[in-house]
Amino acid sequence: MFSERAAPTAQGLLGPPSAEPPTFPRVPVLGYSDCSGLFRPGERSFGRQYAHVYAVRLAGMRPLLQRRARSRWGNDVVLRKLSELQVGEKCCVVGTLFKVMQLQPSILQEISEEHNLVPQPPLPKYIQPSDELILEDELQRIKLEGAINVQRLVTGTILAVYGSEQDDGRFLVEDHCFADLPPPLPWNGPSSDRFVLLASGLGLGSGSGEALLSTQLLVDVVTGQLGAEGEQSCAAHISRLILAGNLLSQNTQSRDTINKAKYLTKKTQAASVEAVKMLDEILLQLCTSVPVDVMPGEFDPTNYTLPQQPLHRCMLPLASPYPTLHLVTNPYQADLDGVRFLGTSGQNVSDIFKYSSMDDYLDILEWTLLAGHISPTAPDTLGCYPFYKLDPFILTECPHVYFCGNAPRFQSKLLQGAEGQRVLLVTVPDFSSTQTACLVNLRDLTCQPITFSGFGAEDEE
Amino acid sequence: MLYDYVERKRKENSGAQLHVTYLVAGDLLQNGHMCHKVAVVREDKLEAMKSKLSTIASVHVYSIQKALLKDSSPLYNTDYDIVKTNLHNCSKFSAIHCDAAVPRVRPDIPRAQTSLQGSSQRENDTDARSAPAVNGHGPPAAKHPSQQHKGIMGMFAAKAASKPQDTNKETKAEAPGVSTASSKPPPKNNIINNFFGKAAMNKLKVNPVPEQPKEEKEVVKPSVVEPESSPNPVVEKPGKRTESARTQQKDRKSKTKRVDRSDNEEERDPENTKRKRKRIKQLESDSSDEEADVPQPPTPEEEKAPSPPHIPALKTELEPAAMEVSAGGRKRKRKRVLKSKMFIDEEEGCMGKAGCALPLSGTHFIDDF
Repeated sequence: MFSERAAPTAQGLLGPPSAEPPTFPRVPVLGYSDCSGLFRPGERSFGRQYAHVYAVRLAGMRPLLQRRARSRWGNDVVLRKLSELQVGEKCCVVGTLFKVMQLQPSILQEISEEHNLVPQPPLPKYIQPSDELILEDELQRIKLEGAINVQRLVTGTILAVYGSEQDDGRFLVEDHCFADLPPPLPWNGPSSDRFVLLASGLGLGSGSGEALLSTQLLVDVVTGQLGAEGEQSCAAHISRLILAGNLLSQNTQSRDTINKAKYLTKKTQAASVEAVKMLDEILLQLCTSVPVDVMPGEFDPTNYTLPQQPLHRCMLPLASPYPTLHLVTNPYQADLDGVRFLGTSGQNVSDIFKYSSMDDYLDILEWTLLAGHISPTAPDTLGCYPFYKLDPFILTECPHVYFCGNAPRFQSKLLQGAEGQRVLLVTVPDFSSTQTACLVNLRDLTCQPITFSGFGAEDEE
Repeated sequence: MLYDYVERKRKENSGAQLHVTYLVAGDLLQNGHMCHKVAVVREDKLEAMKSKLSTIASVHVYSIQKALLKDSSPLYNTDYDIVKTNLHNCSKFSAIHCDAAVPRVRPDIPRAQTSLQGSSQRENDTDARSAPAVNGHGPPAAKHPSQQHKGIMGMFAAKAASKPQDTNKETKAEAPGVSTASSKPPPKNNIINNFFGKAAMNKLKVNPVPEQPKEEKEVVKPSVVEPESSPNPVVEKPGKRTESARTQQKDRKSKTKRVDRSDNEEERDPENTKRKRKRIKQLESDSSDEEADVPQPPTPEEEKAPSPPHIPALKTELEPAAMEVSAGGRKRKRKRVLKSKMFIDEEEGCMGKAGCALPLSGTHFIDDF
């Protein structure tokens, strides 16, 4: 992408300086609209129970699932609620999945005295062969067995199962289906090359400086201070930069200060203060040249529950005067130059990774799109705000670019849907460990990773 | 440009060995997809890197050093330093010019900042409740120190446990103005007289007059504390009053003053209150004192404890020197009881009688409580 355009003038700078170095104007923003209104609950009150989240989720997705069920198993399939089930009758039930996992961390078990349990250390995966699936609806629940992959599914998914109830009270599943891809959005993409750079996991404040040169190289390439003329003109076509979370490193969390006595920690400054100052300087350099959208992540100074609210602009005094800086929520949805972007900082995908047998981040990302819900495991194992009116994580329209941040490596796939949907799935790798960012070309929905590297003491690059 | 320089220098063969680092960018087949790679390489690795890339997008000189670099970190460090010093002009030399990146005008920002500051200072106050010594600088609004004091006094007053006293404080807290302050003492004195006896009233009437001009001086100070100074003379502890005078200047001091007031109520509670007083006096002695210990000079002079050793003690208390205060504080503590006795002995007239009456009624009063 970059390279083909830039190649002709590759060696251009290996010569005497020209009288007037060419400058390139940044491509203007054709159209930008932030569609993340759903992710900003106006009033936040935590007085409600989380059961309402599941109730609105089921109510919101039930019509869609019923339509899918009819289209899949015939128009005359019997749709029943759990309370209306009759033994032996083949029918279809729509409900919420609940997975009973023995290894699932439970705070009640931990503090229960009769068990005398040592708190469970965090495991990479909590699945076990003995896990069971239970289908719940508004009133009842029933155990599922049969043609359903227990290991792969996670709690909170809404699905439709087709089968019959057995004598022993379990439901024998013959087939099941999810909400599938949401209806497509019209395509208004640009006709010429335009790029959006996706990066995540900058990991500032980590105390190790290897990624810092790469970060500076990234900033310099985007602002046009590196590269020959061809490359610079390509960089001028980057219309936006999206930082998808984890701008601060995990080391800035300083969790041990909570356990230490106050007199030991009184004079120490939180590690995140220094890191945010560094972030501010980097953002200032970026904002003078390109519009930036900053999404918070797991280790960033904002709230923990999803949807995470934007970082506060008082933390970024140098960069916030610039109108090119946009502090946005996690998850983030926006229309950039006619292309709908939807993405998270990766907490939803990594949570599903822990509770499911799916190993590939791209697979999980695709599965959430097919299940019609950004984060089904919230609020069970992932913190989330107790919604009661509507669940904003239900996918109602199919985005054109669907990304998740802080993945272990870069992957991308173009998914074609039955109703004409075209989605580019991108897993944005963690920059602090891979020094890789993603360039998405809006014209043809292709994605290319871009790696930055310096040289270390070792000879091999 | 740098390339040109390198070429010229090398042609000159001036002997100084220049090590050049290049920036190479291009496409590289990695993990099954074409990855655009941007790398900083040493000169000797340049050709190797170029051969690895299938398409070369750009090559140029990144930096020149005299010494051979083992690591790319010095490159980053120098770059970082330069960038830091030129943060606001960092795009001056960049090839890409963005029209949208014009910083917003300042007035947008300070508005938000003041509201943030206001809220943060309120939080400072609440934090300072637990650390009175640290909060040397008073927050801008007079309300804040008064509320703060109420909080601290709430803690101390719990021991004194006098409701009228609290209402006193509250009324004082709500009277920031000097004018109101001067009008306040009489009603407050009425209340306090309940504690200290009627004779105190006479003394108080004498006091507000000379206090007036000095009170006006203190307009600027959080005059929350000020009204208290007038009822103070009733108390037979001028030392405390001097303390209270000092407390007017600083929030801390007003806290201590209130502490003293409560201690006054408890009065004869021996070691506890004295210890408390001592601690707080030391706190206030740390602060740099300003002059206007206004109400105090007149009142002790009036009370005129003639006994010479006590006068110096008084005077040391009056003078705002910190050292003296601390010394005086210690002396004060011990002499407190004596002074009151001196009132009894040497004061004449109603004041003497008042002095006479005071300790007894004071103790009575304490017993009642």
